[in-house]
Amino acid sequence: MDELEEIKLTFFQECDELLADLEAGLLKIDAGDAEPELVNAVFRAVHSVKGGAGAFGLEALVRFAHVFETLLENVRSGKIGLRSDLVQVLLRAADVLADHVAAAKLGGEGDIATTAAMVKELETWISGGPILPQSVSEPELPPNDDGIVFTPVTLTIPEVDDSPKEQVWTITFQPMDELYVKANEVGLLLREIERLGEVEVELLDDALPPFDNLEPETAHFAWKVRLKTEATEERIREVFEFVEGDCSTTIVRAASPPMTAEPDAGPDIAAIIAAAQAGLAEPPSSVEAQSPEELSSALDLIPSLPAVSAEVVPRDNALSRQAPARAGGEKANPATIRVDPERIDKLIDLVGELVINQAMLAQRVAGHGFAASSDVGRGLDELEQLTRDIQDSVMAIRAQPVKSVFQRMPRLVREIAGQTGKQVRLVTDGETTEVDKTVIERISEPITHMLRNAIDHGLETPGERIAAGKASEGTVRLAALHRGGRIVIEVGDDGKGIDRPRVRQIAISRGLIAADAQLTDEEVDNLIFLPGFSTAKTVSDISGRGVGMDVVRKSVQGLGGRISISSRPGVGSTFTLSLPLTLAVLDGMVIDVAGQTLVVPLSAIVESLRPAANDVKRVGVEGSVLAVRDAYVPLVDIGRVLGFQAEATNPAEGVVLLVDSEDGGRAALVADSIHGQRQVVIKSLESNYKQVPGIAAATILGDGRVALILDVDALVAMRKREPVRAHEPLIEAAE
Amino acid sequence: MNQQVNSAANDRRELTSFWSGEQEYCVDIMSVREIRGWSVATPLPQSPNYMKGVINLRGAVLPIMDLAERLELPPTQPSERSVIIVVQVGERLVGLLVDAVSDILSINPDQIQPTPDVGCDQAKAFVRGLITIEDRMVSEIAVERLLPDPESLAA
Repeated sequence: MDELEEIKLTFFQECDELLADLEAGLLKIDAGDAEPELVNAVFRAVHSVKGGAGAFGLEALVRFAHVFETLLENVRSGKIGLRSDLVQVLLRAADVLADHVAAAKLGGEGDIATTAAMVKELETWISGGPILPQSVSEPELPPNDDGIVFTPVTLTIPEVDDSPKEQVWTITFQPMDELYVKANEVGLLLREIERLGEVEVELLDDALPPFDNLEPETAHFAWKVRLKTEATEERIREVFEFVEGDCSTTIVRAASPPMTAEPDAGPDIAAIIAAAQAGLAEPPSSVEAQSPEELSSALDLIPSLPAVSAEVVPRDNALSRQAPARAGGEKANPATIRVDPERIDKLIDLVGELVINQAMLAQRVAGHGFAASSDVGRGLDELEQLTRDIQDSVMAIRAQPVKSVFQRMPRLVREIAGQTGKQVRLVTDGETTEVDKTVIERISEPITHMLRNAIDHGLETPGERIAAGKASEGTVRLAALHRGGRIVIEVGDDGKGIDRPRVRQIAISRGLIAADAQLTDEEVDNLIFLPGFSTAKTVSDISGRGVGMDVVRKSVQGLGGRISISSRPGVGSTFTLSLPLTLAVLDGMVIDVAGQTLVVPLSAIVESLRPAANDVKRVGVEGSVLAVRDAYVPLVDIGRVLGFQAEATNPAEGVVLLVDSEDGGRAALVADSIHGQRQVVIKSLESNYKQVPGIAAATILGDGRVALILDVDALVAMRKREPVRAHEPLIEAAE
Repeated sequence: MNQQVNSAANDRRELTSFWSGEQEYCVDIMSVREIRGWSVATPLPQSPNYMKGVINLRGAVLPIMDLAERLELPPTQPSERSVIIVVQVGERLVGLLVDAVSDILSINPDQIQPTPDVGCDQAKAFVRGLITIEDRMVSEIAVERLLPDPESLAA
């Protein structure tokens, strides 16, 4: 790969982060957070994308980003108020920008028609917004101008001016050596300030040593700038953003500009411009160069220093203020490194091998008769602890907050809302919940499906909602949390809930259930996970193809996860998705069944026990239950269900594992014996073979042999359906 | 090995041949990852009989398939002399249980004849073509057709 391509790749990576920041910022603004820093962060994101794109000659991207940026600039300067309809436009513009970046990544350009429409919309806003009267519209600032641009609006039509009051600021600016070392230039900074309003620049050369003592590489000058502007303090500070820490800056606000100067300000401003220009060209002599008359009138504008209010914010130590000021958007932690994920995967694989090897070693040492209390035994214990710690640390490297997935969802929601004509607000929660990358990569699709389903089937149209006495805008909630060593993702809506009679009727008409089947509400709700089930009246391209929820369930099960739905008519439905935190390791119980070694995920096991013979009761011909304290739990013979043996093990001669299954019910798994607990490395069966019913994955044990990891829920379900298979084809089809 | 094949590239193909159920078969040498002795496999529940189970191949789970049984011939009796040929099929690896490896063949593509209609569907489905070398007949196995569809789920 040539060097430029490599840099370009980095640029696109940064773009992705910036676009995410952009959207996150806009969504926060949309949610009512009006922090000026947020607007700045949003602006910076677009600006940085534009800047980088310019460097790579991505012209279409630059052109669009420029229009976008111009509008944001106007928002930032307070020219255009942030209204919710504007934020919606900005969000859509962010989508278009993302499309452009995506297109540029593939070497193309964004969709021309969409872009043109968006540009037009943005330009309408730039020129004052679609609703504001034309007369207020302000001349657009020429972009990238080198000349001095003032906005004389306040002077020509002061009566319609409702923008922030002009204020006079005194900025003292003293560069340190580092500023020059980093090739910054004071002239450019001053010019930048000049753009904010009317300036008078004064060079402070008091610190300049006699020529003999002059250190050529030391900074000696300071500048004092008097600025009359509408801009906020933040805006002024931004000028110094890139030299923060390399200079000491104080920005002091005068009480207010003298109002009397307003009516005849014309000539004064001219004088100030002249002074400023002269000041830029020849700083030391700027003030003296004016005629006494002009000078005095110019100085009239600026209150003398003693009159200045006490609002002084020293900037000498930039760091102390940096954190809160930047919380809005900039990367909070600069001390991160980019690592090729493949290297981490390789490391995780190696650590997995290390864990297996450690187990093998321990087994062999035990086989040679070393006691656990011997030196060797203790050493092995420490090794095991260390191995585990290494594994945890390595897994932590790969853990990522679900934010990266959640971030993609607002756009999806907007699109689906647009397609269905529904009004939707997406609320997200628990974005910082961390989960292994292997899981992150694969939860996006089920979440997408669940969201589509929630909006398409769950939420009503605005009309229906109003008729039902709800707000016209529906709410969809996407949340992530850790629960019991798993990650739980919930997608809830406040829509109409599942129409159970209708679901039932469809299931009957499709032959999925018998017409007289007795089903609980919960069972009816879960019919929507059956293959080929769809309740949409019209087949839409959103979620009405009838391949939705059964596919979601299958892919979730493939991840060792569960999906369920709860619903209340008229109130809404919630999908709950529960997944393991990692697809790489698992704490398991090693058991023996019919001569085979199997692993049961520890998370599923409630307790293990040796039942007494009289605790086992037969029910019917095949079934039997186990009396556990005061409840009866169905017995499941693992060996029989998996087909390893024809005859069930007598539970009284074996060991019983009490497990919690998906539907909340308990089951008692019968095994021959238990070897103990072990952390095992999960190896996929699918990568070389395919999914096996009742088996979640495989692992490699200490003796180097492959052991299968049980899928407890699937196993219990397989056991359950066996006796009723003839009558209920639906359940079989569901698995 | 790669270089040899490439330098002798002029259309010639190299094949690894082996015995299974008293017949000789072969696969393209480029698809063979390794050849190893038989070790006891962990059986997979609810799987076809020809799937002998899975073994540990340096950290990966390798499914083992009895080639003879897959071709609906009498199953191979695994012994210490049995051999597992690890072949790559797309992204996946699969071990073929066979009786013994016999030869490496270097042939011209025109030496391969299409499989005649022998009335046995399995054989026809999995045999790509027939190669005659001196008085031997070797069937080329189409390895990509041996594995079950990864998406398919036995209900």
